Amino acid sequence: MEGMFYSTQNVWTWWIAIYLFLGGLGGAAVVVSCLTNMYFKPHKQLVVWGNISAFIMLSVGSLMLFIHLLDHWAVINVLNPMILITKPDAWIAWGTQFIVWMLVWSIIYTLPYLLETKFWTEMPVVGTILGWFNWLGKLSLKLHKLIGWLAVINAFGTVLYTGLLLQSFPAVALWHNPGVPLLFLVSAFSTAIAFLLLVLYLAIKQEEDHELRVFYERSDVILIGIELMIIFVFFEYTTSGLESARHTAQILWNDMGWIVGFVVFGLIVPFLIEFKGVTKGWGGSKVPIVLAAVLVLGGGYLLRHYFMYAGVYERPYPAVNIIRQHSELKLELAPTNKVLALLPSHYSMASKLG
Amino acid sequence: MANTPHYAMVIDLNTCVGCNACMAACALENQTPVWDNKWRTYVHDMEIGTSTDDDVRRRFFPRLCNHCDNPPCMSVCPTGATHKLDNGIVLVDDELCMGCRACVMACPYDARYDVTSDDLEQGDKFFGELHYRTRPSVDKCSFCAHRVMRGLKPACVETCVGSARMFGDLNDPNDEVAKLVKTGVAKPLMAHLGTGPNVFYISDIERTT
Ligand code: SF4
Ligand code: SF4
Repeated sequence: MEGMFYSTQNVWTWWIAIYLFLGGLGGAAVVVSCLTNMYFKPHKQLVVWGNISAFIMLSVGSLMLFIHLLDHWAVINVLNPMILITKPDAWIAWGTQFIVWMLVWSIIYTLPYLLETKFWTEMPVVGTILGWFNWLGKLSLKLHKLIGWLAVINAFGTVLYTGLLLQSFPAVALWHNPGVPLLFLVSAFSTAIAFLLLVLYLAIKQEEDHELRVFYERSDVILIGIELMIIFVFFEYTTSGLESARHTAQILWNDMGWIVGFVVFGLIVPFLIEFKGVTKGWGGSKVPIVLAAVLVLGGGYLLRHYFMYAGVYERPYPAVNIIRQHSELKLELAPTNKVLALLPSHYSMASKLG
Repeated sequence: MANTPHYAMVIDLNTCVGCNACMAACALENQTPVWDNKWRTYVHDMEIGTSTDDDVRRRFFPRLCNHCDNPPCMSVCPTGATHKLDNGIVLVDDELCMGCRACVMACPYDARYDVTSDDLEQGDKFFGELHYRTRPSVDKCSFCAHRVMRGLKPACVETCVGSARMFGDLNDPNDEVAKLVKTGVAKPLMAHLGTGPNVFYISDIERTT
């Protein structure tokens, strides 16, 4: 029918953006730290930092989701692994399982390192709990590579699913395209490497990690470069594509938060800083790389924030439900409401009872 | 399968008078949270035509869940709460639904809304002892499956004073609804999305020049 209406949604907002950000960042941090430890440079501290941070990030992210559920008890339905047999088409079902198993395997992978570190074993409560799992730590060491790969596979699934989830909403041109999972994947790894660079520079601070830091910086430059190219592709796609995409373009490319916040300070500036770092160096100063890493992390959140807010639905009538939920927007009451208000509350529901 | 019905609705935009009786009938039949302006079916009051005054017309546009053949709300649902019956009706099982709202995001037709814990409390006051909802969940039109299974029509169809809403079986070649759909007189909304909607509209726009 003629005359379409365009609207954004108010159902999944900043809290989903935080969840998508932390899910991607945490998942990719596990992948990078475990693979680094297994194949690049054995690095217990990096594994502990990467995996424990990921545990905290995913816990916070999942808590955001959980708080916003309408029926908290019913979450049990997706925590049951059998859900993958009954609902293999639902990415949230896969995502929940990926997250749960990523947390389990990454912690088991990290356990031997925790058990040999006084900081953890002497920590009140945590130390006691760790003591109960000495046996698991020993078992983990015996099967360390296998457990590492189980953590990596589930963490990679966590990263990939965040984009696939958005892609599964067909009505919104910005989301329903193969670029979204790729963009989220690249962004997740870029933010995870930025995070691990911060860990290496500010927390671990070991001279012998120089080679590893350079490797991370080079990888991050390549990832940010790819992300910039994908954003350019999205620019083309949204400005000359479907009407819904063109509305998205109007939102994004007129918003200074997106242009300056994300594109300039979240991508271009850190790209230039890191590019100079890997080509000419910063004369031994860590400040520029730390700054670039912080900017990449901020950009990673902004990307998801704007993606949630700029998704435009196209419909032959104005939105009613999707806009009203969780919003302060007061719609004028439909006339029927006034009619209903006059009815006695204990009306006869003949057809239902009959 | 030949005997299994495939339910569908045809809405004639030429005969809807905008009385909203369907909204009221549905709200009472299905106990929707009307106090928060949440409806399973909604009738939009719109203007169509060009900008010149004498060319502008009022259009009433009833809408509801399209009971899609390929419902994105069902494929994204992680708990299996949203499911499809053999007769084509798409339902939400509030025992399984955790209220993640992925289905709300996936539905191209804006057919879904929250039933919150607050709505349940309000419902107890509004509908009294007949209030049947006990769990917060996402809700939407059920084509009044509980009535259809007893041989009745959905409440909105039953009550429509303009006979704008027709309910029928696409698998029955003699059914009026099936004929309107088959002849192309009634068309689905946004079929290009691949959802396979089962609510069809007879347009009120005629060529005048
Ligand atoms: S109209 Fe929306 S809620 Fe109804 S079946 Fe289609 S996608 Fe699902
Ligand atoms: S809100 Fe309920 S019905 Fe909708 S996708 Fe989530 S679990 Fe399924």
